[in-house]
Amino acid sequence: MNAVKAWTDRNLKGDPVIWFIVFAFSIISILVVYSATGTLAYRRSSTPEAFLLKHSALIILGLVAVWVSHKIDYRYYSKLSRFALMASVPLLLYAFFFGDSINEASRWIRIPIINQSFQPSDLAKLALIANVAAMLSKRQQNIDDFKAALIPVLLWCGVICGLIALSNFSTAVLLFATCMLLMFIGRVPVKYLLMLVLIGALAGSLALALGTRGKTVISRIQNFISPTEVPYQAQQSYIAIATGGVIGKGAGHSAQRNRLPFAESDYIYAIVVEEYGLVGGVTVLFLYLALLYRGMIAVANSERAFGGLLSAGVTFALVIQAMVNIGVSVGLLPVTGQPLPMISMGGTSLLFTGLSIGIVLSVSKGEVEEVNMQVKSGNRSKISKAA
Amino acid sequence: MNIKKSILIRVRVAFLLVALFAVAVVVRMGNIQFVEGDKWKKLAEEIGFQYRTIKATRGNIYSDNGSLLATSLPFYKVAFDPMIADSEVFKKGIDSLSLLLSKTFPSTSARQFKQKITDARLSGKRYITLSREQIDYQQKKKMMDWPIFREGRHEGGVIFEKVDKRFRPFNDLAFRTVGFLNEDNYGAGLEYSFNDLLGGRDGEALYQKMAGGSWKPVFDQQEVKPEEGLDIETTLDVNLQDVAETALLRALEEHSAQHGAVVVMEVSTGAIKAISNLTRLENGSYGETYNYFVGGVREPGSTFKLVSMMALFEDTNLSLEDSIDTGTGEIKVYKESIRDHKPGGYGKITIQEAFEKSSNIAVAKLVMNQYGTQPKKFYEYIESLGLNRPIGFQMKGEGEPKVKTPDKWSGITLPWMAFGYEVETTPLQMLTLYNAVANEGRMMKPYIVSRAKRADKVIRDFKPEILKRQICSDATLEKLKIMLEGVVERGTADNINGTHYKIAGKTGTAQKLVNGKHVKKYYTSFVGYFPADNPRYSCMVLIDDPKGYRQYGSDVAAPVFKEIADKIYAKDIDMHAPLSPEYLVETGVFPTVKAGYYPDLNFLCNKLGISNHSKEDEVEWVRASVTNNAINWKYPSNAAGLVPDVQGMMLRDALYLLENKGLRVTYQGKGRVINQSLPPGSRIAKGGLIRIILG
Repeated sequence: MNAVKAWTDRNLKGDPVIWFIVFAFSIISILVVYSATGTLAYRRSSTPEAFLLKHSALIILGLVAVWVSHKIDYRYYSKLSRFALMASVPLLLYAFFFGDSINEASRWIRIPIINQSFQPSDLAKLALIANVAAMLSKRQQNIDDFKAALIPVLLWCGVICGLIALSNFSTAVLLFATCMLLMFIGRVPVKYLLMLVLIGALAGSLALALGTRGKTVISRIQNFISPTEVPYQAQQSYIAIATGGVIGKGAGHSAQRNRLPFAESDYIYAIVVEEYGLVGGVTVLFLYLALLYRGMIAVANSERAFGGLLSAGVTFALVIQAMVNIGVSVGLLPVTGQPLPMISMGGTSLLFTGLSIGIVLSVSKGEVEEVNMQVKSGNRSKISKAA
Repeated sequence: MNIKKSILIRVRVAFLLVALFAVAVVVRMGNIQFVEGDKWKKLAEEIGFQYRTIKATRGNIYSDNGSLLATSLPFYKVAFDPMIADSEVFKKGIDSLSLLLSKTFPSTSARQFKQKITDARLSGKRYITLSREQIDYQQKKKMMDWPIFREGRHEGGVIFEKVDKRFRPFNDLAFRTVGFLNEDNYGAGLEYSFNDLLGGRDGEALYQKMAGGSWKPVFDQQEVKPEEGLDIETTLDVNLQDVAETALLRALEEHSAQHGAVVVMEVSTGAIKAISNLTRLENGSYGETYNYFVGGVREPGSTFKLVSMMALFEDTNLSLEDSIDTGTGEIKVYKESIRDHKPGGYGKITIQEAFEKSSNIAVAKLVMNQYGTQPKKFYEYIESLGLNRPIGFQMKGEGEPKVKTPDKWSGITLPWMAFGYEVETTPLQMLTLYNAVANEGRMMKPYIVSRAKRADKVIRDFKPEILKRQICSDATLEKLKIMLEGVVERGTADNINGTHYKIAGKTGTAQKLVNGKHVKKYYTSFVGYFPADNPRYSCMVLIDDPKGYRQYGSDVAAPVFKEIADKIYAKDIDMHAPLSPEYLVETGVFPTVKAGYYPDLNFLCNKLGISNHSKEDEVEWVRASVTNNAINWKYPSNAAGLVPDVQGMMLRDALYLLENKGLRVTYQGKGRVINQSLPPGSRIAKGGLIRIILG
C-alpha cells in the first residue's frame, strides 16, 4: 500500500481528487461501454470482447494523455494552443470538404496507416478554449477596452465556431456558449457579452444556411419545442430511465441497448441509469460536479490569471458538454449528438478529454520551479539544499 | 476588488448554474421514474420489438455456358396503408384503383375492393393486405403507375412486400441434380449440397410491430446487412443434359423399368456434363426423386470384371490370346454354381473372348487361380482403386460402398466378387474407373461445380482433381482398351456397333438382391467411353428392373448409350473434321461482292455503276452469281429452322443471320466467311454451336 502511495506521489502530481475522479470515470466507462456494445449488431460483426479491448486501449491512451499533459508546465499551453488553433483551421476545412461522413454529418478525417477516424473539432475546441484563456489573461488590465481586449478573442471564437458549425452545429453552439462563459469569468463586461450573443446568433444562422446540417437542426428544434410525438430515441431513453428504477437492473442487464441508437455514445447515460439506477445516475452527476469543483479550487490556488482561466475554461467545457449529453438523455434538451466525456466510446474524444484533464492537473500542481524534477531520489538532498 | 477575487466570484456563479442544472436533471429523472414511470414501463411492454431476419438473396446456378438452371425471382405481395393518402388523392383515385385491382385479382370485385379500402380508412387501420396472390416484377411496375399507388409508399401508402421465389428456366431438366431446399433447410441436389455458398448470410434488423400485424424497421444504423449468396457455375451442359434425359426417358418407358440413371462425364477432367435419374412414379410416369447415380449402392455385376482383369493383367503375364476352358456353362463352387449366359457354355475361348462375351466362369476361374491363396492381394487391388470408400463427391448423399475385408470372406466371396457380386459400389465409382481407363490411366475425381462467383468475381475455383495418377501399367491399359472395344465390335454389345466413330464399354446385367436373395429381376447397365480412339466422353447408363423379354444390359442400357453418344458426336464439332464446303462461291470479276444483305449490296452496286439484277425486290439475303458483266442476285432459302448459307458474307451479316436463328457462333480469321461447320440447309438445334472461318 505504501509502495503504491509512494509511486503515485512520485508520478501522479497535482490534485489527487481529480486523479481519483479520472480513474473512477475510466472504470465506469469500461463497464458501461462493454454492456452497451453487447447489442446484436456489434455481436454479429465481431465479438464484444474486441470492442472491450479496443475501448480499454483507448481509455489507457486517454490516461497516458492525462499523464503526459499534466507533466507539462501549464504556461507552455499558451503557446502550444496557438499552434493547435492555427492548425485546426485547415483541418476543419478539410473535414468539411473531404471528410468521412458518419451519420450524415461530415466531420471526420481518416488518418491513413493507423486508420483511425479523427475529429478535428475536438482539437479545435480545446485549442480555442486555451487560447481564449490566454488572451483574456493577457488583457486583464484593460479588459473594458472593447477594441484592444475583445476583438481578437471574438475573431477567433467566430472563425472556429463558424467552421465547426458548418458540419456540427450543436458542438459549435456548445463551444460558443463555453467561450462566453469563459469571457464572463474573465471579467468581460456583461454588455459586451449580450452583444456577442447577437453576433453568435447571426453567425450561427449563416452557418446553418451554408452547412450540411441545417435541416436536421431545424427539425430537431421544432420537435423539441412543439412535441407532437416524443421522438423515437427520446422515448427509448425514457423507457431506459424508467425501467432502471432506483438501484438499476444490474451491470450488463440493459434491454434498451438494443433499441437505443448510439447506446454506446449519445445515450450512454440512459444505459447507466438503466443498469445502475438513480443511484448510479446521481453518482455520475456528482463526479462531474466534483470535477468542476476541484477545477474551481485550482482556479483559486493558481497564482496567475492564465492558470485560473485555463483551468476554469477546460473544466467548464468538459462538464457543460456532460450536462448537455445528460440533459438530452433525460429530455431537458433537444436531441443532439454529444458524447459523454470520459464515458462514451470514441477515440479522439477520449484522447482530447484526457488532454483537458491533464491541463487542469497541471494548473493544480502549480508552477514548477526551474529545477529539473526528474532527478533520482538520491539527489533529493542536494536539491533541497540548493532551494 | 482585485482581479483574482472577481474571477473567483464569477467562477462560483457559473458553478452554481451548473449545479442547478444537475439538480434539474435529478428532478427530471425522478419525474420520469416516479411520475411518468408507469406510462413508460407500459410502453416498453406494448411496443413489440423484434430482431427479424432479412433474407439474403440466394445465388444462381448456371450451366457450363452460363445458362441459368436456377435463380431467385422477386415476387410481391401487395399491401396498403389506407391512412396515408390525403383525402383529395384518395377521393379522386379510389374508383379507378379498385377497378384496376379487380382486374389483376379477379377473385375480388371492384366494389368489394372499394368497400374494403374505404372501411379500413374510416376505421383508421394502418395495414391491409389487398390480395394473397403474389405479383411479379412487371406487374409491380405497372401497379406503381396506378392512381393513389403512384404517389409511392410514403404519400400513397402502397406497400410491396418482396418474396423471393426459386425459378428454374429449364423446368424439370436435371431436376434432382439442381435439387431443392425446403423451409427447414433440408433438401437435395446442388441447392442443398451448396447451400452454404448459395444461401449467403441473412441479415438482421430491429423491427417495431405496427397495428395490423406488419413490421416496420426502426432505424438503419445498426442493422446487419444481409450478405448475398454466391452464384455457382456447374459443369452441366444443357444440351447434353437434354439429350441424355430424353434418351433415358424413352428407354425407361419402352421397358417399363423401375428406374434409370445416366451420367455423361468429360474424360480429361472428370467434369459431369449431364446427369439424369428417373424413377417410375405411382401414376406410371417418370420423375426425378432420387439420385441413384451418386447415392445408390449396389452390386455392379459384369462391369466389375474390368477390375478383375486389370488385377490379373497387372499380377500375371496373361495375354489376350491365352485360352481358358469355360466348360459347359456351369461350375460348382461349394454349394453354389456359377453360370454363363450361353446355354451349353462357351467351351474353350481366349481371354479376350471371355471378356467380350462376359463369361462369369472364365473370370471367376482366373481370379480363383491367381488369388485363391492370397485373397488379400485382390482386396488390396480394389482398395488401391478407391472402390471401397466414397470418392468425396461435391454433392451430399454419396453412397457408402460395401467391400468386405478378406477376414470376413466366405468360400464363394472371391469368385463371385470376380464378376461383380458380393461387392457393392455406387455407379459413380464405376464410371470414375472406366473414365480413368479412357483417360490413359489417370483417374479423375468427378465434379459438377466448377466455380462459385459473386457477380463476375470468382470466389472459389474447383479445379479438376486427380484421384490416382496411374491406375495400372500402360501394357495393362492397352489390353483393357482392346477388350472394351471388342465388347462393342463383336461381344455382348455388338448391337450398338456400326457407328462411324468407335465406342468402347462393358455391359452389366446383375440379378437384383432382394432381402439378401438374388431374384429374377435385373439391374442392367452399360458403361464406356467414346470415341474410343481419342476418348472425349465417358458415359454410364443404368436401368433397373426392365420388363419384357429383353432384360440384358446389351438390349436395354447399351442402346441408350449409343443414342446419347450419337447425338453428342453429331453436335460436338470438335470431335470431327469440318465438313468440306458444300459448294464454293462462284468466282468472277467481282471478287468482293459475294453474298450479303440485299439493300446494302444493291445500293453499293448502283452507286458504282455495276449492273445488277434481281427477280424480286422483297428479298433480304442474296448471293452473287455473275453472268457476263452483270450480277444476278440469287436468293438461297432462308427457311426457319434450317442453317443458312453464310459463305461469302462479311462477319457482321453472318453473325446477325446465324444468331437470329438461335445458333451460338464462334469465328476465326478476317474477311469473308469461307467455311461454316454446319452445312447450309441442315436442321438447327437450339443453342447449337457453329464455327465459321473467315479469310
